[in-house]
Amino acid sequence: MFWRSTYNEFLKIAAKPRSYIGVGAITLIIALILIALKIDGHNFISFATRPFEQSLSFEGNILNGNLVAFIILQMLIIHVPLLIALVTGDLISGESAMGTIRLLLTKPISRTSLLFSKYLAGCVYTFIFLLWMGFIALVVGKYLFGTGDLVVLNSDGLIILQDHDLGWRFFTGFLVSYLSLVMIATLSLTLSCFSENSIGPIVSTMAVIILFNIMGALNVEFLQKIQPYLFTTHMLAWRSFFEDPLPVDKIVSSISVLLIHIILLLGVAVYKFNRKDILS
Amino acid sequence: MKPFRYLFFIISLLTSQASVAQITPSANQLLHSIYAKLQKANDYTVQANIKVDMPFIRMLPIDAKIYFKQKNKFKVESKSIAVVPRQGFDQASKMLADTNAFNALVQGTELINNTLTSVVNIIPVADTSDLILGKLWIDEKQKLILKSKLTTRSNGTIVTEYTYGSQIQYALPDKMVFQVDIKKFKMPAGTPADPNAKKKEEKPRDDKKGNIIITLTNYQVNKGIPDELFKKK
Repeated sequence: MFWRSTYNEFLKIAAKPRSYIGVGAITLIIALILIALKIDGHNFISFATRPFEQSLSFEGNILNGNLVAFIILQMLIIHVPLLIALVTGDLISGESAMGTIRLLLTKPISRTSLLFSKYLAGCVYTFIFLLWMGFIALVVGKYLFGTGDLVVLNSDGLIILQDHDLGWRFFTGFLVSYLSLVMIATLSLTLSCFSENSIGPIVSTMAVIILFNIMGALNVEFLQKIQPYLFTTHMLAWRSFFEDPLPVDKIVSSISVLLIHIILLLGVAVYKFNRKDILS
Repeated sequence: MKPFRYLFFIISLLTSQASVAQITPSANQLLHSIYAKLQKANDYTVQANIKVDMPFIRMLPIDAKIYFKQKNKFKVESKSIAVVPRQGFDQASKMLADTNAFNALVQGTELINNTLTSVVNIIPVADTSDLILGKLWIDEKQKLILKSKLTTRSNGTIVTEYTYGSQIQYALPDKMVFQVDIKKFKMPAGTPADPNAKKKEEKPRDDKKGNIIITLTNYQVNKGIPDELFKKK
């Protein structure tokens, strides 16, 4: 019954026009970035090599598909949560708003199982979304710009990673990005349990992300103590896979923080949904 | 006694002028003979292994193919991204091409890897020259540059050490070690989406040297290289 319910929930997501808004938007944005990089990409990447260019010359195809995919991921992973919350924030509250939640809960399935089937369907949607984003960023990027080594600029300088060493880094990077987006899906689903309309959880999710991002950016001693525990601090953990040597401790810590947030929020969601008044 | 003092002063002045006059042409002749030796290789291709050892750049050694054709055609071909000195590998050769463009002076001698070298200072004649000061350590016997230190307006100072072997007759090195002054490197204040960039204290960068070590093997000298190869795609 659980899998059947999950399947039904996924069909419901697939049938809603809003599910395609995010996919359409991300396709359009990535297409724009690809066109912009194709036209003026060399100017853009000189930002990374400029500090070294007085004494050194960089030979080879720097603006390649790998760099394009990295730039796209870096640009969008902060903005994608809105598009995910647009769907997952509606999973419970949408049913409440339309009044279908009563009918739904007449099914011979526990409230917890129903919640998890909705959650799982939301996670599958998030996975497909990220897979599509990765496909157009990496595959189309490589088709347009060719392949090559990846130049990553961080606060310590430049890291040049060889092409043959990038497959597993992108794969694991995508997995951790997925975990970050699942965290967003969990947050919006939990908020959805508290609301009777779709807008509330979506806006609240974005408000929490913006608030946490601001808290993470401020260099105030009091906030710096909290920053390691904010999930937004760890949403860019995927970038750690493009460091050399690999900061394993940092990655494990980020994954742990995200998993703890997911488990806690799911606990809150289960508690609230089981006590949700559907008769009013 | 006074007239003798003046006479001694005049004689010593004259002899020092004469010694400078003798040294200057000999330094130019030395450089000319080295340039002539470098000209023996009209073109060459060579396999290069490039290792970058710098505090602010982390990368594995890469393999590349280098093409050179007189006078100044130069190309590095690699599947990987290669980091090479901006002055190029042939800067010393380029500098020696026009002996009227600089004044050369033998400053003294110095031992480099147990080889006695003449230290030649090169000062450009024109104020507008890109070269500010050049210093070459030359093995007079073999007519080889063993070390160079070139300071240019556009690319700063680069010290290069040369090791010769298989192509000594063309003065083509088997190994070059470029020492790049990296105190001028300024990293961008905060790189986008680097989550830890702001949290690190911005410490002033130490003055450090970075090395680019290029090992050259499998020279193909004077086999002919078409000009089209050097055109940028």
